[in-house]
Amino acid sequence: MANRTIPRLLQTPAIVLLLFWMLVPLSMTLFFSFIRYVLASTNRPEWTSPSISNWRGFGNYQYVWNQDSFWLAIHNSLLIVCSILFLTVILGVAIAILINRTFPGRGIVRVLLISPFFVMPAVNAVLWINMLLDPVLGLQGTAVAGANDLVALLRDAPVVGSFFSLWPQFEPISFRATQTSAYAVIMMVTWQWTPFAVLILMTSLQSEDQQQKEAAILDGASRWSQFRFLTLPHLARPIAIVVMIQAIFHLSLYAEIEIVSRGNGNKNLPYYIGELVNNNIGAASATGIFAVILANIVAIFLLRMLGKTLME
Amino acid sequence: MGRIVLQKVSKKFGEIEIIPPLDLTIEDGEFAVFVGPSGCGKSTLLRLIAGLEDNTSGDIIIDGNTVTQVPPSKRGLAMVFQSYALYPHMTVRKNIGFPLRMEKMDQAEIDVKVNTAATSLNLTDYLDRKPGQLSGGQRQRVAIGRAIVREPLAFLFDEPLSNLDAALRVGMRMEILELHNKLKTTMIYVTHDQVEAMTMADKIVVLQAGVIEQVGSPLELYRAPRNLFVAGFIGSPKMNLITGPLAAKHGATTIGIRPEHIDVVASGGTWEGTVSVSEHLGSDTFLHVKVAGFEQVLTVRSIGDIAVKHGDKVSLSPRLGELHKFGADGLRIG
Ligand SMILES: Nc1ncnc2c1ncn2[C@@H]1O[C@H](COP(=O)(O)OP(=O)(O)OP(=O)(O)O)[C@@H](O)[C@H]1O
Ligand SMILES: [Mg+2]
Repeated sequence: MANRTIPRLLQTPAIVLLLFWMLVPLSMTLFFSFIRYVLASTNRPEWTSPSISNWRGFGNYQYVWNQDSFWLAIHNSLLIVCSILFLTVILGVAIAILINRTFPGRGIVRVLLISPFFVMPAVNAVLWINMLLDPVLGLQGTAVAGANDLVALLRDAPVVGSFFSLWPQFEPISFRATQTSAYAVIMMVTWQWTPFAVLILMTSLQSEDQQQKEAAILDGASRWSQFRFLTLPHLARPIAIVVMIQAIFHLSLYAEIEIVSRGNGNKNLPYYIGELVNNNIGAASATGIFAVILANIVAIFLLRMLGKTLME
Repeated sequence: MGRIVLQKVSKKFGEIEIIPPLDLTIEDGEFAVFVGPSGCGKSTLLRLIAGLEDNTSGDIIIDGNTVTQVPPSKRGLAMVFQSYALYPHMTVRKNIGFPLRMEKMDQAEIDVKVNTAATSLNLTDYLDRKPGQLSGGQRQRVAIGRAIVREPLAFLFDEPLSNLDAALRVGMRMEILELHNKLKTTMIYVTHDQVEAMTMADKIVVLQAGVIEQVGSPLELYRAPRNLFVAGFIGSPKMNLITGPLAAKHGATTIGIRPEHIDVVASGGTWEGTVSVSEHLGSDTFLHVKVAGFEQVLTVRSIGDIAVKHGDKVSLSPRLGELHKFGADGLRIG
């Protein structure tokens, strides 16, 4: 036994440090979530400093639970994360398969494909919302205006003119509005993270066994069957990795939401917490704990689903 | 039925001609073995027949139908690969049933066929395992099962046993032969192991650099190799090939005598030599003998264990009736 004691002793500082590293923030959040703690209160100045005497039990949780805006934030978080996962995985698989073949200029295409991943999230959001999606000045505005001009021109044309005069004016979409801002976020993050999926799936495609493919060809498998029964199961694990990593990253999206709409209509959980932190630390901490629980549920759910569908 | 005819079939990879135009006929029900050194184009030839490679010119005819333009799955051939090429995510049952599932056969019928194949291959206990949980021999049997259920016109085997250990290889060899006796389906079997070729084949096709050197039954090849390459390739240990004045005396550029056709005699043999290495296998003894005047070391095989060792003087008597003579062009004379 003595020969085990020394290694354990030597490991202790690292383990203790790690424990502090993780446990201190978590336990502080837990503690704050059970007390009344606000930054500014003229009526109850005792609530402005954290103290056990302000114990509120599950009051903060109850308060948050009963807020409509909390449920909206959860709804938005799930909508944004799931849409991004769905789109990046489908696009990732499709693009990875496309560029896995040999064609002239493959090297350059691959480098270009990866590049969105190196754009900073905030810059990405600014570029998309101002230069691409802006209904007046962005590419969208220009395109819609151009299409309207074209239709107007065709209305005066002989023969087809009467057909085009039935067409309505195209309306550009404002992506800063309550109903649409989440879609803008989904679009820009999908654009940025698809390369990540492509990168991981492409490396996995290159390790696919060619003789299995040939055996399947001889067995009469169509291209779709080869994809469905060989490639997709082969990609199941890398897809699970892509989904897990992205779920972790996108549950905490913040910059894009801030830049697109200042949280107008598409607050997600982190943004909601960020607003609460401006004053009500107790409620913010309770929401934080909810967020941790949500992240775990999402992770377990996603893994189960992937395991079932892909592994047969 | 399963008569396979190749007419002037050739294959180029880019500018390099791997297989110059060749003609070959494999009769229905025949067990044909392609044998040759590594890189001679055996696999390529098999893949051409299977349709996994397109031939550069010529025609492939199966049962009278030209299949050159027919996709692999429609040629009615089943292939067994060296690496087994099992589908790793499917159970043994699904693996064997996969070709039937692709034919859209209904599940009940698939189950019957899979069970029959599994029984004949002793795989019933493993049907619900994944390939990763099987031994090499079991995996190869699954691959064979997957080929059998399709009831193909012909089976193509590409070195199916070379990933197995020696003992298992002998066992599987017998199983494949039994399968052939039972099904009576044409089989084409690629190997670089000439013992496999000799023991299994009805017809051996010896290839070198994409060229067919000789086609014949194992004993034809053994008794009358058409040229020096076949003479050296078929038979184990290798035939002794002797050049120089001794060959000239027999009216040839090269003469060949198999190790088993040289007898060790007490005295008064044709050649006197010194043993450099003796290999005692118990059933046989292989002697490597240096004979004065020969450039090559002679290999001699004698039955049983004879008491000679390194440095001993031996007297050798070749059976002149078994002598093979080759001309300057390397072709057999007489
Ligand atoms: N796809 C390809 N592209 C270019 N050359 C190829 C290709 N496939 C095979 N070759 C060449 O064709 C020749 C014959 O290859 P093949 O695989 O048929 O040999 P083999 O007789 O099966 O050898 P082994 O016993 O080692 O399996 C080799 O020189 C190989 O380099
Ligand atoms: Mg080969």
